Amino acid sequence: METAVTSVQTRTAAGGRVASPARRPRRRGQGRLLYVLPAAVFLAVLSFYPLVQLVRMSVSNVTASTLNASWDFVGTANFTAGLVQGDLGKAFWNTAVFVIVVTVIGLVGGLAAAIVLRHSGRISGLLLGVMVFVWALPPVVNGSVWKFLLGDNGLINGIVHATGLAGAPIPFLYDEHFALMSVALVNSWAIIPFNALVFRAAVLGIPAETFEAAQIDGAGPWQEIRHVLLPAVRPTSLVLAVLTIVYAFRSFDFIYVMTYGGPGTSTNTLPFLGYLQAFVRFDYGLGSATAVLTVLMVLVLAVVYARSVRKEEAE
Amino acid sequence: MMRKIRKTGPGPVTWALRAVLFLLYGVPILWIVLTSLKEPGDVLSSQASLIFRPTLSAYTDAISNGGLLDAGIQSFVIAAGTTILTLLVAIPAAYGLAKVGGRITTVALGLLIVLQMTPQTATVIPLFQIFGSWGLLDQRIGVIIADTALLVPFAILLLRPFFRAVPDALEEAGAIDGARNWKIFTSIVLPVARNGVATTGTLVFLLSWGEFLYAINFLLSPGSYPLSALLAQQVSAFGINWPGLMALAVITSIPILILFVFTYRLLKEGLTLGAVK
Repeated sequence: METAVTSVQTRTAAGGRVASPARRPRRRGQGRLLYVLPAAVFLAVLSFYPLVQLVRMSVSNVTASTLNASWDFVGTANFTAGLVQGDLGKAFWNTAVFVIVVTVIGLVGGLAAAIVLRHSGRISGLLLGVMVFVWALPPVVNGSVWKFLLGDNGLINGIVHATGLAGAPIPFLYDEHFALMSVALVNSWAIIPFNALVFRAAVLGIPAETFEAAQIDGAGPWQEIRHVLLPAVRPTSLVLAVLTIVYAFRSFDFIYVMTYGGPGTSTNTLPFLGYLQAFVRFDYGLGSATAVLTVLMVLVLAVVYARSVRKEEAE
Repeated sequence: MMRKIRKTGPGPVTWALRAVLFLLYGVPILWIVLTSLKEPGDVLSSQASLIFRPTLSAYTDAISNGGLLDAGIQSFVIAAGTTILTLLVAIPAAYGLAKVGGRITTVALGLLIVLQMTPQTATVIPLFQIFGSWGLLDQRIGVIIADTALLVPFAILLLRPFFRAVPDALEEAGAIDGARNWKIFTSIVLPVARNGVATTGTLVFLLSWGEFLYAINFLLSPGSYPLSALLAQQVSAFGINWPGLMALAVITSIPILILFVFTYRLLKEGLTLGAVK
């Protein structure tokens, strides 16, 4: 392979000047836009058209009986209904708490794991492999496992009982104060391996001389982390932060499996609330209105992401 | 005299944190497997948490149920179909967007990022209505198409840096030899970017294997659910039979384990490249 590449390259170096280089790339460049066409058509029909339909549904009265009939236009009634019923406000708050917990723990945990697993060795390699495997497992599997571990007879309550921390089992998933935090922690647990992998690549990218220079200046391990490592991974953490925020915001699988939004409304985040309104209450208009709000929030996040990626590429 | 450079070996704090990581990630996996080998009664008694008589009854029950094989086939067809369709659509698009600059590309990338970030609940509602009027509900192909629409933006964004890394000089050489664009693409560009294609294909397979929201809503009867949807349905039911559920979780995970063993090296490199760029 290696040799094939070099031989082609030398040929270009010889022949490139003969064939007018100024015109060729432009003509070929335009032609290559045709390659994008199938994806453009596919996404126009199956991604953008549904989003248009979602907006239409959000301003219409759509129930199970009128789903495939014509819809009555109701203006912003679905949005105000969501606000008046109090579901939206609560869901906003839940979403904010959820996203903050997952992002902070996901990033700090990911960076910590990357630092302790940065040395190449059999143990850290194996540990990283196990972590990435857990990340690769379907969320529905991981969610089921944690629902079991956090149950009354689960491992965590077993440990709590054995160490005498609490007399009765702790209702991790069906107490309205604990449930949101429990699901958020499990979500952070699930994203830490990915963040660790990306952070680790950034850490390994730091030249060895930088560390050596720091040591000659008398830096200890903590100072090394603070003055060499953290500044070096800053651009990466910016991008990862946005990715983790989006991951937390979109989170659906773990909530579905572990609490189904309950108890009561205590683990209803905005995306989950939209799902319940549409597919459990069969009020598709109401659910669409909630979903439209989530899409609007995504638009804001996308702009932030595009900016941080551009920054990372520039640095 | 120059001071001797300390070899940065792992210190006690590092070892402590590694132990924590092992407890957090190793134990849950161990625990699913252990639980799947228990009798339902053993799960409730804390004495039997580690010492118990292992039994395969949860597995034999699950398999003799009959529906399991169907669900497994369903999972496989959906995941494989989604992977093929997604790659067919995303590979040329990623190549086009990697090699053409300008405003169209910037706008297209922005739209793809928005689509990738959109919560699935925002698409499951309108797609349910649209598929209803197109007659795609309760059909495997409906789920495959929906999964593909979900994953194509991700696949394009992940593939693009791999195509960008293919040197222009390679393609120009092909052009000088008189090869047509399509020929250059298939015989020069694709082989060079094959790691990216393999990484993306693996991830798309993993993600569509685990996807259950579309499956549970578009397939109208549990009889045609894939494994992931079956698991999601059973875990949210009352009176869960934990050994049975954990056996189902293990069965759902085994194909992932096999795929993972073969592609881990690839994923480790591909993810870090694609995630950040």
